[in-house]
Amino acid sequence: MTWVWLLVLTALALGLGYAPINERLKAFLLVCTTLAKILVIAAVFMHLRYERLNLIMITFAPLILAVILFSFTFPETFGSATHLIRVR
Amino acid sequence: MDSTVAEQQRILDSDWGGGRSPFGTSWSKFMMWIFIISDALTFAAFLITYGFMRNISPAWPKQTEVFNMVLITFMTFDLISSSAVMAMAVGAARAGNPKLAVKFLGLTILGGLIFLGCQAFEWTHFIEEGATLTHNPWGVAQFAASFFVITGFHGFHVFSGVTILAIVAIRAAMGKYSADGVENAGLYWHFVDVVWVFVFAFFYLL
Repeated sequence: MTWVWLLVLTALALGLGYAPINERLKAFLLVCTTLAKILVIAAVFMHLRYERLNLIMITFAPLILAVILFSFTFPETFGSATHLIRVR
Repeated sequence: MDSTVAEQQRILDSDWGGGRSPFGTSWSKFMMWIFIISDALTFAAFLITYGFMRNISPAWPKQTEVFNMVLITFMTFDLISSSAVMAMAVGAARAGNPKLAVKFLGLTILGGLIFLGCQAFEWTHFIEEGATLTHNPWGVAQFAASFFVITGFHGFHVFSGVTILAIVAIRAAMGKYSADGVENAGLYWHFVDVVWVFVFAFFYLL
């Protein structure tokens, strides 16, 4: 049953990939489907929903650190940052 | 010996009252989780670097025109299905049915091998079309570089996962069987699936 839900979410993500919508909205919706998928996998397949809250909390560490890294580095790409890259 | 017991008692009587197993799991499962958490950080760094490089590039190739999306979708389907079968293997192992567990483990390994085969095919195709770490016919060099590094690292994880699952399956078939071992291998396999979910969404679809 979980398997079916994961396939539905995958189909949704695939549809989003081809949808002719704004890039930012697409990015946001793809993040949502991805997070939904990993939460289902972690909770059901990896049995996190049966584990103690302590263990569940430490598994969120990479996600939080990734958000921090992303929000500190990504703004650097706005504006004229193309000097950072070599264009062939 | 006596001093050790006394030391333990001193800790148990303290305010902390240690030794209560804050995570309530076996050591092996806890270590697997610690490994997964640190490994997740590696992939997070890769994907964030990829996002950074992509956003400072003047143009990024359209993935749907470069890659065979039917193949990529099949690979995603294959990995998710093998993850589901792995969950069934863990269930069978927990229920004390090693024969069924070995059968499901075999199917999981098959799923992993199919995935690796598709990836080998994809890489061959990509390289034959002229992609290297520093050059590619579609646009900025960072496109092929992030493809090789991200899918390469993920593919290597799939390969190690297949190896671990093969060891667990052989041991289970030999009767040297522990439900914890199957579960830990399963945790790793699901993690590989989780990473692919990210790669699929952000590298191929976005």
